[in-house]
Amino acid sequence: MTRMSRLDAVGAIVGIAVLCPGLTASVQAQGKRTADANHGAVIAAQGASGVPACAQCHAFSGASDSSGAFPRIGGQSAYYLEKQMRDFTSSERVNAIMSPIAKALSADDIADVAAYYANNSGQFPPLATTDAATYEKGQQLARIGDAAKGIQACNNCHGPDGAGIPPAIPYLAGQYAQYITFEIQMWKRGLRKNSPGSMAPIAKQLDDQQIAAIAAYYQQVRGSTSAAVAK
Amino acid sequence: MAERLRPVNVVTVGVGMTGAIMGKELAAAGLKVVGIERGPGRDTVPDFQSPAIHDELRFAIRKALMQDNVKETVTVRNSSDQTALPMRRWIGFLPGTGVGGALVHWNGQTYRFQPADFVYKTHLEQRYGKSFIDPELTVQDWGVTYGELEPHYDRFEYLCGTSGKAGNIKGQIQRGGNPFEGPRSREYPTPPMKEPYYGALFRKGAESLGYHPFPQPASTLSQPYTNPEGLTLQQCVFCGFCERFACEHFAKASPQTIVLPAALKNTNYELRTNCQVLRVNLDSTGKTATGVTYVDAAGREFEQPADIVLITAYAFNNVRLLLNSGIGKPYDPSTGEGAVGRNYAYQTVSASTVFYDADVNINPFMASGSSGTVIDDFSGDNFDHGPHKFIGGAYVGAIMTGGRPIEFHPTPPGTPAWGLGWKQAVARHYNHTVVLTVHGSSHPARHNYLDLDPTYKDAWGLPLLRMTFDFPDNDIRMSSYVTDKATEIGRAMGGKTVASAPRRRPYTTTAYQTTHNTGGAVMGNDPKTSVLNRYLQCWDVSNVFVVGASAFAHNASYNPTNTVGALTFWALDAIKNQYLKSPGPLVHT
Repeated sequence: MTRMSRLDAVGAIVGIAVLCPGLTASVQAQGKRTADANHGAVIAAQGASGVPACAQCHAFSGASDSSGAFPRIGGQSAYYLEKQMRDFTSSERVNAIMSPIAKALSADDIADVAAYYANNSGQFPPLATTDAATYEKGQQLARIGDAAKGIQACNNCHGPDGAGIPPAIPYLAGQYAQYITFEIQMWKRGLRKNSPGSMAPIAKQLDDQQIAAIAAYYQQVRGSTSAAVAK
Repeated sequence: MAERLRPVNVVTVGVGMTGAIMGKELAAAGLKVVGIERGPGRDTVPDFQSPAIHDELRFAIRKALMQDNVKETVTVRNSSDQTALPMRRWIGFLPGTGVGGALVHWNGQTYRFQPADFVYKTHLEQRYGKSFIDPELTVQDWGVTYGELEPHYDRFEYLCGTSGKAGNIKGQIQRGGNPFEGPRSREYPTPPMKEPYYGALFRKGAESLGYHPFPQPASTLSQPYTNPEGLTLQQCVFCGFCERFACEHFAKASPQTIVLPAALKNTNYELRTNCQVLRVNLDSTGKTATGVTYVDAAGREFEQPADIVLITAYAFNNVRLLLNSGIGKPYDPSTGEGAVGRNYAYQTVSASTVFYDADVNINPFMASGSSGTVIDDFSGDNFDHGPHKFIGGAYVGAIMTGGRPIEFHPTPPGTPAWGLGWKQAVARHYNHTVVLTVHGSSHPARHNYLDLDPTYKDAWGLPLLRMTFDFPDNDIRMSSYVTDKATEIGRAMGGKTVASAPRRRPYTTTAYQTTHNTGGAVMGNDPKTSVLNRYLQCWDVSNVFVVGASAFAHNASYNPTNTVGALTFWALDAIKNQYLKSPGPLVHT
């Protein structure tokens, strides 16, 4: 079952109700353009006016290069990817590379690229593993949180072992540790402004070692799960 | 036989919301407090963790968090000429057990009662004349006023971090809030929860008819909040598993998230779990309690002497403990004499169900236990009852608490009860249906009461509580009137079909209605018609206080928790500021 069940999804629906009070759901559905993943593939490969090709950093698969500087986006929901692009446009997220790109793309282009990468199931070759103690610490935070600090488990929202709860909540399993660390630090420093109610207060309570453990755990967890299944 | 333990200052019988708050506060005041809880100890970590806590079969159907009715239950009948039988499976209502009590698995709906509710008889007689109230009803004043309770409501809401929009601050009506509510001293501690789509549809429909929709006050929080105990709650994520479940997310106000950690830090406070209190012990005069007797999980019996006994269990268990301890005079419906067990009331709940076309997607699973939009236009005495032959009312609202797959199967009238036709209807309507709740007041009547069952006993050999109840005519008339109003709103919401289901007799325990059982040990000004004085102190045994919805003289149109919280702080203030300085009756008759 697709679950439009989380907080951002509530915001999305409230937004519709506020903006179009006179419209019924059927009119909304008729008015909505269907995203063109094929056109998205062209932008991913060739870029657009003032926009470099997405695939140069994120690869055609959405797995990005192995540096960890660029997040994996393949298989994230189109809703989530579009929202992040909108947030780059509105400066809720700011990034020297992504903000100008998001501002240069039209809303339809963003929807098309999001559809392309969402449909791309993503490739998750195993990444570097961490030491057992760090993995265990990360797993504990992911599964039960930190009771002493009153921090809830990451998986409460991000799904079992960080598999994501689409469309609103991104997967973390298989995401680059460097990217996860960087983004949590951005929230902690007050520089990333989306999800202010949930992610910002959590990030502010996490110490650097906890952040590193969470990141290392999620980078490894998808690989280890697949490996376990393969055995 | 029972081992006598070292005396303490205070015992609380039960460590749910009221026991946890009172235990924490009195320990902080320097008293030695023991909290005795019949159920297990439990905490957010490790007991409430996902995904296990989202097991609908285990928690919602098999009632894993509820009182173990193999050991202890209630017997039920509709009238005195019937033989009551024990409830062997909880369906109609769900008494909690274990540390945190029912506040672990509540929905978080956090209403105040109306100012008129506390002076109910006086108010109704002034407005409608002395002969207006059906003589069958034993309506009476509570002995306390809304003005006296307001600071304590405020205190409880700020302990919980309740999310809402005030409608009346110090007499000034506030836009977006409930314009009918009694004056508040300040705004809610956190802003209202986001409005789900079903709430937005209800708002539109209700506004088109001239009503006054507002966001339901919720103790499932809209944003992170640190309460006066220094405990931080997190933002609710609308997972749809509040009622019957515990929150894994630190987002719902429960004793574990709002007060217990502060109590447990204090060396004056001791928590004993899996201990069943059998009775309150009295001295030879019968006017002073000497402590309680309980049995631990190993079956050993202990006597715990205490200066003050606070009975802080679920309403039913409060009344039963009084009866099994010989405190107060049991109510006799044939003579109307005696107060223990008198003025039992329930909640008169009904519904209108709004079925939409298949292109209107409601997403009922995207919810908290208290996300929703409601109107107060038909609650309590917010409208003129003169033309009607009833008192009381109901709030009406779109409150969807999770749309969980085993429990939520809306089908329009005429659908087969099973088989292919039923399955097709469930698939067709699951995501395209809004249920409107009509949450109505319940009035005490002479023939409705609680007493000890003459036949059935619990695992420790003590008589079970017997409940004799059916809905009074007054409340059936009220339900019919307000459910019609809900149905009109459902039509204004654009529903294709609106199915109206007003409350009908007989009362049955085989369909869930609500866990809001109230009364039986009510507060008041007259010892003939109340068990407790205005400070929730026993008239007959002045070192026993009975705290809970059992003290309600009637049940208003609203969920009781906030009023129980306010009464808890009200009684606490009386104990701290009056009783401790000069033990004895706080009110003289």
